[in-house]
Amino acid sequence: MTSDPATPSTPATPATPATAAAAVTAVWRMESVRLVAALTRMTRDVALAEDLAQDSLVAALEQWPTEGVPRSPGAWLTAVAKRRAVDHFRRAETLRRRTAELGQDLQEAHVPDLDAAVDSIEDDVLRLVFLTCHPALPPESRAALTLRLVGGLSTREIARAFMVKEATIGQRISRAKRTLVGQDVELPTGRERDERLGDVMTVVYLIFNEGYTATAGEGWMRPELCLEALRLARTLASLVPEEPEVHGLQALLELQASRTRARTGPDGEPVLLEAQDRGRWDRLLVQRGLAALDRALALGRPVGRYVLQAEIAACHARARRAEDTDWTRVAGLYDVLAAAAPGAVVELNRAVAHGRAFGPDAGLAVLDLLDAEALGGSHLLASVRGDLLARRGDADEAVAALREAAALTRNDDERALLLKKAAEISSGPVSKPAQAVRRLHDTEPPRRQP
Amino acid sequence: MRYMVFVKMAEDVGDAPPRLHEVMGRELGEAFASGSIIDAGGLYPTVQSVEIRLTAGEVTTTDGPFAEAKEVVGGYSILEARSEEEAVAGARRVIEIHREFWPGWEGSVEVRRIATPEEGPPPRT
Repeated sequence: MTSDPATPSTPATPATPATAAAAVTAVWRMESVRLVAALTRMTRDVALAEDLAQDSLVAALEQWPTEGVPRSPGAWLTAVAKRRAVDHFRRAETLRRRTAELGQDLQEAHVPDLDAAVDSIEDDVLRLVFLTCHPALPPESRAALTLRLVGGLSTREIARAFMVKEATIGQRISRAKRTLVGQDVELPTGRERDERLGDVMTVVYLIFNEGYTATAGEGWMRPELCLEALRLARTLASLVPEEPEVHGLQALLELQASRTRARTGPDGEPVLLEAQDRGRWDRLLVQRGLAALDRALALGRPVGRYVLQAEIAACHARARRAEDTDWTRVAGLYDVLAAAAPGAVVELNRAVAHGRAFGPDAGLAVLDLLDAEALGGSHLLASVRGDLLARRGDADEAVAALREAAALTRNDDERALLLKKAAEISSGPVSKPAQAVRRLHDTEPPRRQP
Repeated sequence: MRYMVFVKMAEDVGDAPPRLHEVMGRELGEAFASGSIIDAGGLYPTVQSVEIRLTAGEVTTTDGPFAEAKEVVGGYSILEARSEEEAVAGARRVIEIHREFWPGWEGSVEVRRIATPEEGPPPRT
């Protein structure tokens, strides 16, 4: 190719084919979201856009290892993909003309203006995210398609992250792309925009939680999935900076991710929030989370579930030691959250917070109002009740509740933790309560088993 | 994986052209937005730096600048990358932007992986 938009530079080192391919793929992946987003605007077809972007990767893999990485890889890839797009539309046009010659209606040439609106990268990416989280798609397909087209992950990487067969993810993605054919690709406005933005945030949050409390496979975290969700949340906050909830979501995820290192012990066992070594929290992510929360609040507009949850997470992040936690404020925030986004898991967390802030009776009072059915037989209710009873000094009742919780949980680590706690209570004075309460104050939604 | 990127150059390079600031600002903004850069900063000149050194049991304190240093670190960024190739590609952009918008500038970026606490201290060889 001689019409490259930029002069290639010499390769840094004589690379082996494998490392050269890895370098090309890394560059392509960094550029792919903008590439696919711009091509989606031009072609109004996500599937075609992705094919064209993949074509540009193939071209790069052929040329860069020998000719060097171009000075501006993004511009190079875009130029190649645009040329392919023009070729595609010319072929389609030729076909249309031939059909017309056979007696069909002759239509105006329809090759889209590929250079129009070059300054709308933000809109392009936002439009793409709205599409990959489209309400016409089933939730699990939204997550897969978003990771693929916005995160730039391969089908294999997504399959590994979700512990699902590669073929399953592949089918999910191609079915999703077919579903999107003919859907309006324009940016929604007004109330529809708010709703669609809510859908997008749900997908990002779901991806994060899939990584944060893994429902399948070994270990109870998949940090790389959390990181992808965090990237998506950061991108979203830059695309829709006027929306407090988007900053709230970013803040929440930064703050939760900051605890990743402290959430497992030396043998991979889970460590609960209050027992975590706070020195292992990632201070950089804490700072970023608090800054994002400040941006959300500075907008001075009504906030929703994400900002409220981020504020709760911030209460924990600001406490140097677990005993420094401002539980009164946490309890107050849960009261507001329970009104804004009612749910059984929020009520459970509210019970814990009220128990810490105002004594176990206050916590038990919240639990008494909770409909056990709403938790779908989750062990969490018995677990929280056991903890509050232990704090009140009702050892026998506490042990019974904790054993009930142990019988209900499907997670081995969790069962061991609950039984250990029960054994500690029955064998002596209540020394360190709260160990049985897991995943609470982490403000996570109820999880479905896949 | 996190990487620390040091931007190194001769200290007497003078002021950067406004266009470089503009383009670097835009690119940095995009990288911050996408989450690939999580922290970055510029450093004051070494005339304001202090070096405290231990040699043969002797502690000496020296104020900058340090005449023997050909290139000094002028700025840093912390990248959150999915692979080393991604970190290298990101760092390389900095050099390409300098090539395009600051004719005559010479310098380097150094990409260093940050060890995580789980890995223990990195090997010293």
